[in-house]
Amino acid sequence: MIDFMIAAVIAALANIVLLVITVATYVQNMRLIRSYYTLGLVLVATLLMIQNVVIVIFWATLYMHNSDLMKSADMVAHYLFAINIVQTAGLSILLWITRR
Amino acid sequence: MFVFTVNFPIFSFSTIIPRNVFCFIDSFTGKNDSKLDPRFKMILWSIIAGTRGGVNRAKILNLLVNMPLNANKIATILNLDHKTVIHHVNILTKNELIIKEEKNYAASYKLTQIMKDNQIVLTEIMEKIGTK
Repeated sequence: MIDFMIAAVIAALANIVLLVITVATYVQNMRLIRSYYTLGLVLVATLLMIQNVVIVIFWATLYMHNSDLMKSADMVAHYLFAINIVQTAGLSILLWITRR
Repeated sequence: MFVFTVNFPIFSFSTIIPRNVFCFIDSFTGKNDSKLDPRFKMILWSIIAGTRGGVNRAKILNLLVNMPLNANKIATILNLDHKTVIHHVNILTKNELIIKEEKNYAASYKLTQIMKDNQIVLTEIMEKIGTK
């Protein structure tokens, strides 16, 4: 049986990697074109990255150190996995468009 | 005999997304130039500011405003690699911002009509890029 919590965290880490590359591209553009558009792109991508970092932090601290929480979190872990894997697919498309 | 005809509602882009949803109101003066197509503005901004090498794309478009040029000349003027220019030109052609004048090899490129109509957006972006 797949451990959905581990799978969700792996997807979150993949999201972080994708977002780091995206943000790097956006920042390169922002240094040349200073406008609300470029600033907005950097902001949105950074906030999405924070979301994924928070998921990893949740897994590494709360989830690992509290066995009661671990049981209840495992019951909903497949939902978290679904959310993250869809996000990974979406971010891959975004990165492909950005780096094309 | 009975024939059912189902009338599918016909959606066009403009009915789903009204013209003014994506408009960029000038943040300093607060006025909005209604002659410009805001959707086109969105496309141009995302292709220039939202992709790698977008600044070079803006420079290519800015060159083609004055006269049609082929890829080789663009590469010489902008001091870019020939392959890079070919790549950018292909992307711009796919997005219907520029078009080949003839079919042959080394044909020069010119701006499409929609790009010509919305040149002021490009001017705005070029001002933001400045001389950097």
